[in-house]
Amino acid sequence: MSEVRQYFNNIWLALFTAAIGMKTTIRHLFTSAVTIQYPDVKLKLPERARNRLYVNIDDCIGCDQCAMACPVDCIDIETIKGTPDQDLGVTSTGQKKRLHVPVFDIDIAKCCYCGLCVYPCPTECIMMTDVYEFSEFDRQNLNYHYSRMSTEEITVAREKLRKADEEAAAKKAAAAAAPKPATPPPAAGAPPKQEGGAQEQAKPNNPS
Amino acid sequence: MYELLQNLLGDSLLVYVIGAALPLLFVLPFAVVAVLLEMKVSAHMQDRVAYMYTGWHGVLQPVADILKLLQKEDTIPAAADKFLFRVAPFLVFMGGYAGFAALPFSSAYIGTNIDLGVFYLLAISSLSVIGLMMAGWASNNKWSLFGSMRSVGQIISYEIPAALSILVAVMIAGSLNLQEVSKFQDGGLQNWIVFGGPLPLLQKILLFPFTLTAFFILFIAGIAEVNRTPFDLPEAESELVQGYNTEYSGMKFAIFYLAEFANMFLVSGIVVSLYLGGWTSPLGDVMSGPIWGFFWFVAKGMFFVFLQVWIRWTLPRLRVDQLMYTSWKVLTPFLFLCIFAVGLILVL
Amino acid sequence: MDLFTIIFYSFAVITLGGGAVVVFSRNIVHSAFALLFAFFGVAGLYVLLMADFLAITQLMIYVGGILVLILFGVMLTSQVLDVQIKTGTIQTFPAVLAVSALAGTLVGIFWSTDWKTTAAPPMEVTAAKIGEMLLTSYLLPFEIASVVLLAALIGAAMIARREKNA
Repeated sequence: MSEVRQYFNNIWLALFTAAIGMKTTIRHLFTSAVTIQYPDVKLKLPERARNRLYVNIDDCIGCDQCAMACPVDCIDIETIKGTPDQDLGVTSTGQKKRLHVPVFDIDIAKCCYCGLCVYPCPTECIMMTDVYEFSEFDRQNLNYHYSRMSTEEITVAREKLRKADEEAAAKKAAAAAAPKPATPPPAAGAPPKQEGGAQEQAKPNNPS
Repeated sequence: MYELLQNLLGDSLLVYVIGAALPLLFVLPFAVVAVLLEMKVSAHMQDRVAYMYTGWHGVLQPVADILKLLQKEDTIPAAADKFLFRVAPFLVFMGGYAGFAALPFSSAYIGTNIDLGVFYLLAISSLSVIGLMMAGWASNNKWSLFGSMRSVGQIISYEIPAALSILVAVMIAGSLNLQEVSKFQDGGLQNWIVFGGPLPLLQKILLFPFTLTAFFILFIAGIAEVNRTPFDLPEAESELVQGYNTEYSGMKFAIFYLAEFANMFLVSGIVVSLYLGGWTSPLGDVMSGPIWGFFWFVAKGMFFVFLQVWIRWTLPRLRVDQLMYTSWKVLTPFLFLCIFAVGLILVL
Repeated sequence: MDLFTIIFYSFAVITLGGGAVVVFSRNIVHSAFALLFAFFGVAGLYVLLMADFLAITQLMIYVGGILVLILFGVMLTSQVLDVQIKTGTIQTFPAVLAVSALAGTLVGIFWSTDWKTTAAPPMEVTAAKIGEMLLTSYLLPFEIASVVLLAALIGAAMIARREKNA
């Protein structure tokens, strides 16, 4: 192509392509907008969307598996072993609860929304909800406390456990004093007792 | 207009002050409308909706913006040349606003009916050039300086095609006075200078390709003169932050903004007056008269403002060398051809 | 004092004030920008003398062209702000002598001249007349000026152009 033809061709192309571009934009001027006015209109989230965690504390058996699965350690669980005379009720799936859960904290500010805590839960009491608007002015408010036990209830439960442990220890001591074949103490179906049983940090009683 | 005011108030300074303030009554509401237009059109061209919460479909947003700008802290950089920094925005606005004096809004209103109307418009815009340089220099910021240097180079380069394309219309109308040029095109669509003006049919047909070319080039050069996309190199966000007004905030920035919108309408007004009949009605005698004249002028002007917005959201920015190439190697030679041909046709 | 006088004096003040800043400012950029006001004021004075074409040409050429050129020149100078402008007085005696002689002559002429004042003629269209005269009576000077400018333009382009095979 000679330079003169190139020159005129360039001018023609400039005008022609500008016209094409302008046609496109004017067409879009009259197509309806795709904007969603967010706070007023909300998109429906997909079924398996992972957002804020929720714990149905009534179903929690305090097994601590979610806390162990959490890659960022945002779940903090403490449990107190129940004594044989207490009935802690059953979960909705019919599992018997054996541990008090005085502390079940999720620091949602740390949460990475991976959902790994949801799968190990034997009673399906921890779940991802579709709530995603939970900003706070104070970071402390993002540390959610799910346990409903009051401080009195916690001290009562601790006291009971301590007494039960003392009784068990006394029995054990008596059994040790009497030269009989050792039988396991009837400790409410609990697994073999650990030493220093007054510790409230119990091990999971149903290792999978 | 001045005669009316002089009859009412006598020959006093007040008459001149009022006369000078009249276009402001147009420019300020226009800026508000143009901000909204720009935002809404740009949003809808990108399938968005823009403001929706301030008033019905966000129509009050420009008002809110102005209130915000009024309240903003007016910062001046510590190392800036403080005096020049303060003067620059006013100089830029003055350059744009002074142009409105020669713009015929209707058959009954033109700021000053001077005989050198268009020539004056070309000359007075150099005040803005100096203002831009001042802003860039006084900011003591390399982006600002780059922006203002680019802006000045661009405006000076595009003054050549702008002046030459104005010349084509002036040759046909035989006057530099925009009021006269508008009057010359009275009598309907077919008398507009784009279509050859009110001349014998044969001449019109011969003139048409050249007037159309000149009209296009005037509009392109006009966009370049007011530094809008695709010629917005002086304030190229991706390269220069915000160009010459990077350091400006609050009221001073608002004045730059106002100057930009005033210039947008000024350019549209020049194009309309010279090539599209100014205030004359496209339907001939139907809907003509001073009030309708104002309506037609503003309507045509607004169409070109819309066109500028449309182009802005369509075309990407030119490179500096492309900018100069367009001005010197494309627009100017074509205009020389146009001037030569129009002169020849008019003489024969 | 009528309106005309007020406007005249305001333009005079703008011109002289701008000029004074140009001369006395120690900042060379301020000097360059102050030229704007001087040029603008002169344009205003031309308008008051009914020379509208001249006034607008003044704006176009001086403000739009020459001033921009000066500003570019000043700004592209390296270390603009370090330029020391000497405003001290040297050779006081001869300077006083020369200046007072010049001032005396000017004032003398100013007083001794018989200024003839007439009523201002009505504003007339000057652009068309100037155009006609440029293309008839003064065609040769006009063309010579054009050729000189064209030569300057080509020369500038030649100097600015990078030699391709050098």
